[in-house]
Amino acid sequence: MEQVECIVVGGGLAGLSAAYGLASAGAEVMVLERGDYSGAKNVTGGRLYVKPIRRFYPELWDEAPYERPVARELVTMMAGGAHTTVEIASDRFTAGQPQSYTVLRARLDQWLAEKVGEKGAMVVPNMKVDELLRKDGKVTGIRAGEDEIGAQVVIVAEGVLRLLSSKAGLTSEPQARHHAIGYKEVIELPAGVIEDRWRLNPGEGAAHLFMGDCTKGMMGGAFLYTNKESISLGMVVGMDDMRRRRDGSESWQLLDEFKELPQIKPLVAGGTVAEYSAHSIPEGGISQVPKLAGDGYVVAGDTAGLSLNALVTVRGMDFAIASGYFAAQAVLKAKEAGDFSAAGLASYEASLRDSFVLRDLETARSIPNVMENPRLFTHYPQAIGRLLESVYTIDDQPQAGIVKKAWRGVRRDFMSVATVKDAWSMRKI
Amino acid sequence: MAAVLVYSEKVETARELVAGGKELGAALGLGVSAVALGPGAGAAASELAAAGADTVYVSEDAAFEGWPADAVAAGLAQIAELAGASVVLVGSTRRGKETAPRLAQKLGAGCVSDVNSLVAEGGDLVAGRYAFGGATVAREKLGTAVKVFAVMPKTFSAEGASAGAGAVETPTLDVSSSVKVVDRRAKEGEHVNLDAAPRIVGIGRGFNAREDLALGDQLAAALEAVVGCTKSLADFEWLGEDRIIGLSGAKTAPDLYLSVGVSGQIQHTVGVAGAKLIAAVNKDKEAPIFAMADYGIVGDLYEVVPALVERLKSV
Amino acid sequence: MDIVVCVKTNPDLQMVRVKDRVAVTEAVPYKIGDLEKNALQAAVDLRAAAGGKVTALCLAVGNRKAAEDVKVALAMGADEAVVIDDPALAAPDQAAVATALAAAVKKIGACDLLLFGEGSTDNYSGQVGARVAEILGLPQIGYARKVEAVGGAVRCERSMDDMLETLEAPLPAVVTVVSEINEPTIPGLMQIMKAKSKPLQVWSLADLGLDAAQLAPTREIVSNLAEEQDRKHILFDGSAAEQADAFVNALIKEGVLGR
Ligand SMILES: Cc1cc2nc3c(=O)[nH]c(=O)nc-3n(C[C@H](O)[C@H](O)[C@H](O)COP(=O)(O)OP(=O)(O)OC[C@H]3O[C@@H](n4cnc5c(N)ncnc54)[C@H](O)[C@@H]3O)c2cc1C
Ligand SMILES: Cc1cc2nc3c(=O)[nH]c(=O)nc-3n(C[C@H](O)[C@H](O)[C@H](O)COP(=O)(O)OP(=O)(O)OC[C@H]3O[C@@H](n4cnc5c(N)ncnc54)[C@H](O)[C@@H]3O)c2cc1C
Ligand SMILES: Nc1ncnc2c1ncn2[C@@H]1O[C@H](COP(=O)(O)O)[C@@H](O)[C@H]1O
Repeated sequence: MEQVECIVVGGGLAGLSAAYGLASAGAEVMVLERGDYSGAKNVTGGRLYVKPIRRFYPELWDEAPYERPVARELVTMMAGGAHTTVEIASDRFTAGQPQSYTVLRARLDQWLAEKVGEKGAMVVPNMKVDELLRKDGKVTGIRAGEDEIGAQVVIVAEGVLRLLSSKAGLTSEPQARHHAIGYKEVIELPAGVIEDRWRLNPGEGAAHLFMGDCTKGMMGGAFLYTNKESISLGMVVGMDDMRRRRDGSESWQLLDEFKELPQIKPLVAGGTVAEYSAHSIPEGGISQVPKLAGDGYVVAGDTAGLSLNALVTVRGMDFAIASGYFAAQAVLKAKEAGDFSAAGLASYEASLRDSFVLRDLETARSIPNVMENPRLFTHYPQAIGRLLESVYTIDDQPQAGIVKKAWRGVRRDFMSVATVKDAWSMRKI
Repeated sequence: MAAVLVYSEKVETARELVAGGKELGAALGLGVSAVALGPGAGAAASELAAAGADTVYVSEDAAFEGWPADAVAAGLAQIAELAGASVVLVGSTRRGKETAPRLAQKLGAGCVSDVNSLVAEGGDLVAGRYAFGGATVAREKLGTAVKVFAVMPKTFSAEGASAGAGAVETPTLDVSSSVKVVDRRAKEGEHVNLDAAPRIVGIGRGFNAREDLALGDQLAAALEAVVGCTKSLADFEWLGEDRIIGLSGAKTAPDLYLSVGVSGQIQHTVGVAGAKLIAAVNKDKEAPIFAMADYGIVGDLYEVVPALVERLKSV
Repeated sequence: MDIVVCVKTNPDLQMVRVKDRVAVTEAVPYKIGDLEKNALQAAVDLRAAAGGKVTALCLAVGNRKAAEDVKVALAMGADEAVVIDDPALAAPDQAAVATALAAAVKKIGACDLLLFGEGSTDNYSGQVGARVAEILGLPQIGYARKVEAVGGAVRCERSMDDMLETLEAPLPAVVTVVSEINEPTIPGLMQIMKAKSKPLQVWSLADLGLDAAQLAPTREIVSNLAEEQDRKHILFDGSAAEQADAFVNALIKEGVLGR
C-alpha cells in the first residue's frame, strides 16, 4: 500500500488549516476534497470572527479574501407582524484590525487551498474518500474508490455529516436533535446599493439577524450579511422542529416566504440570486464533542462538533481553523516523538481545552437546552413586539399612560412561572 | 481590383456569401469573386456567376474530391493570390471551419471562425461570434492585410442577390492531399430542420433510457412541436446530430421552446436565446435553465410530462 | 506511436457568471477542456494498442497555475507534460498559440500524431489544430469520432455535414476529436499520486527560440458582451397536474396555444 505521512480528509477550513500547519513545517500532507474545488459546496452564513484566530498563521489573515468588515450589527424580533429592530454599532467593531468580516466560502476556501498548495501539500479536489481504514483499532489510512493509501495519521475534517468517522466508530452518528439546517442564498446587488440600503461607509458591512415569526416558531432564525457585491441571506432552523412540521411545506419555502415579507422585500429588491445552498450545523454543544484523537487520527472542525450557536453569534469557521491549527501542532509533536498513538496525539485535546475553542463551548454548555425552549422563538419575540407596538400605538381611543401601557404588557407577557423558569435557565449563557 | 473572395462547398451557403460579400464589398470598395471546387463544380460556378459574383474561379481537380482541408486550403490560397483577395469568406460548415484556419495560416492572415454577423464599420470589418460557450458575443477586428472569416450558414440571405453574369475562370492549381478516403457515404435517416420549427421540445439527460424518449415524442405531438435535444443525447446516439440545439448544433428561434430534463448549460441555451418563450421542466430547482426561462416546472419529468400530455388533450 | 496532445486550461464555464453583460472570470478555477480530455483519452487508448509515449502540451493563457492544472493530464495517463508559460503571451490569438505550440512540438521531437480538441472550451474557434498542421506541413483530419492506428497511418471516422467518412492520413498527422469519441476516465487517487512524479517541464518563449514580437496578436476584440435577455422567471407550485394546468393556461394566455 502506498504510504504518506498525513492524510487530511476534507478540504474545508478545518482540513486546510491543519494541512497548512503541517506543510509549513515540512510534513508530507495530502488533502482529499470531495468537491470540484475547496469551498465549492461549503456553506457558511457569512461571518468569520478573525480576532480569535489571528495568532495562528498571522501571515494569512491580512491578505485573506474577505468581503466586508462588519461595522453594524442589527437584530430584529418578528412577531405578529410587529418588527422590533435593535442596532448595535461600535467603532470598536472595525477599529484597527476588525473583529469580524463577512466572507464567501467559494473564495475563502479556494484561496486557502492555494496557500496550502504553495506550502507543498498536495490538494486533490474531486476526490471522495469512501472509507477510513482501521486495523486493530488504529486508523491506518483511507480508501477512495479502488485505491487504498496508508498514512501515519489521518486528520478527519469531513464536516458535519460524519459519514466516514461515524462508520469507523470514531464519532457517533449525527442526530437530528443536535443539528440545525441552514438555507442560504447569495443575492447580487451593486456595492453602492448595499451601502445605501444598510447605511454603510464604503467597504464596510452589516450583519443582520432575525428571530421569531420568520421560522414560524421553530428554533432558529434568519441572517443577512452584506458582502462586497452581494448579500448572503439565509435561515437556520432546528432539524427536529423542521421534521416535526407536517404541513407538507418544503423547508426552502420558509426562505422564499421570508423574502416576501414587506420588511424584507425592499432589502433584496432588484437583486439576482447567484447561488443557493443548504447545509446542516452542529448545535449539540460540548456534550456532543466526540473523542478528539485516537490511534492514528484526530478529528477537527464540524466533525468534532466544534460549533457554537449563541443566538446572535454563530461561530464555526473560527473553531474549524483553530482546531486545524492545534491538530497540526499535535501531529508535528507526535511526529517528533515517533508516536502517532492516542497518547502521542493527546496534546491536541489539551491545547483545545486551553484555548477559546473548548472554553467557549464549555461556557455555552447550557445553550443547546435553552435553544430547545420554543418560547424563545414564539413567546418572547411576540411579547417584545406587543410591548413596543402598544407604546407606539395611537388609536381613536383615549390613551393609557405610556408606563401603564408598558406595565400591562410586561405583567401579561413576562411575569409568569414559565418566564421566570426561562430566566433561570438562561442565567448562565 | 482587390476583392472579397467567397467559398463554400455548399452551393446554397456560397450564394449567401456572394450576396453578403457584395454588400460588404460595396461598403469597402471591393469586388466579389467566388470559388467552386471539386468534380462537378462547374454547375455551381454558373450559379454563383448568376448570383452576382464578378468572377468565379472553378476547378474540378480530382484532389478536391471530398474537399480535404489541405488541398482546399492550398487551392484557395492560390486563387486568393490570383484574385487579389484582401477578404476571404468561407462558409463555416464543418468542412469550411477546418479549412479556413489552414488557409489563413498559409496567407499569414488573421481568422475569425463561426462568425454570425459581419458588418463594415469605418472601412473595417467587424465580426461577431459567440465566446465563453455562448455566454457572450465577441466582436472582433483583424489587423492583417488579408482577413479570413468563416461565416455561419444563413448569416446572410441569398434572396436579395442581384442577378449577374460574372466571368468564369478555370485556373490551373497545384494541389494535392495526403488524406485518403477509405469510405464515404451519405447519412441515413430523415433530416429534421429545427431552424424553422415554430415549437420545439428540447430533451436532455434527464431521460434515463432511450425507450423513455417516447415520452418526449408524446409531449411534442401534443404540442405539435419538433423534438430537439442536447448534445449529450446525440453523443449517446439516442437521437441524430441534426437534433442538437446549441453552440455546435442548431440556433433556433421558435415561438415556444420547452426543455425537459435539460440542465441548461450555456452551450445549449445559446441555441434557444432567440425563442419568444422559454419553458423548462427540471427536477432540480437550481438548474441553470430556470435562470433563463419564462416558465418553470420544478418536478420529475416522469410525472410532469404525462400530466402535461393529459392537460394538453383538453386544449 | 508517440503522441502529443494539445490541452488548454480554461476557466470553468459552469462557474463563469455574467454580470452587467460581462463574463466574470475572476476567481474562477481553470480546468482542462472537455474536448481535450477526449483527445487525451484517445491518446491513452492508442498507446495501449500501439505503444509509445503520450505528451500533454499546454500553452498557459491567463492561468497562473497552468502547471498545476495540467497535472490532471498526467493523472489521466499522459507520460509527461510540457507547459509553455510566458508573460508575453497574456492574450495570444490563435495564430500565436499555433506558432508556439508548433515550435514546442518540434522541440519535443518524436511525434507521430498530434491530437487536438475540435475546439477549446472558451474560444471554440477550432483554429489551432488546423494552423499547427499547416505550420508543420502535416495532413489533418478534423472532427474524428473514432481514431485507430493502421500501419504507418491513422484512420479516423467522422461525421461531416451530411456525410459519414472514414479517412486515412499518413503519419505524422494532426487529428482533432469530437466528444462522441470516448468517455474520458476520471483518474483515481493512485493515478493522481503517480502523476506527481511524472516529468513536467515549463518552457518560456525564449526556450522555444521565439520572441514576443513574432506572436503579437493580429486580432482586436472590439467588445465582448452578453446579449440582453429579458425573461419572466415564473415558477409554478403544486402537484405535477396543478403545475401542468397552470403552465398550459399560461401558454394559452400568451397566445402560443389555442387561440
Ligand atoms: C447556514 C450556516 C450558517 C453559518 N454561519 C456561520 C457564520 O456566520 N460564522 C461561522 O463562523 N460559522 C458559521 N457556520 C458554521 C461553519 O460554516 C462551519 O462550522 C464550518 O464550515 C466548519 O468547517 P469544516 O472545515 O469543519 O467543515 P466544512 O466546511 O463542511 O468542510 C468539510 C469538507 O469536507 C469535504 N468532505 C466531506 N466528506 C468527504 C469525503 N468523504 N471525502 C472527501 N472530502 C469530504 C466536504 O466537501 C467539505 O469541503 C454556519 C453554517 C451554516 C450551515
Ligand atoms: C465546446 C462545447 C460545445 C458544446 N455544444 C453543445 C451544444 O451545441 N448543444 C448542447 O446541448 N450541448 C453542448 N455542449 C455540452 C453542454 O456543455 C452540456 O454538457 C450539455 O448541454 C448537457 O446536456 P443535458 O442538459 O442533457 O445534461 P445534464 O447537464 O446532465 O442535465 C440533465 C438535467 O436533467 C435533470 N433531470 C435529471 N433527472 C430528471 C427527471 N427525472 N426529471 C426532470 N429533470 C431531471 C437534472 O436535474 C439536470 O439538470 C457543448 C460542450 C462543449 C464543451
Ligand atoms: N493554449 C493552448 N494550449 C494547448 N492547446 C491549445 C491551446 N489553445 C488551443 N489548443 C488546442 O487547440 C484546440 C482548438 O482550440 P481553439 O482553436 O481555441 O478552438 C483545443 O481543443 C486544444 O486541443
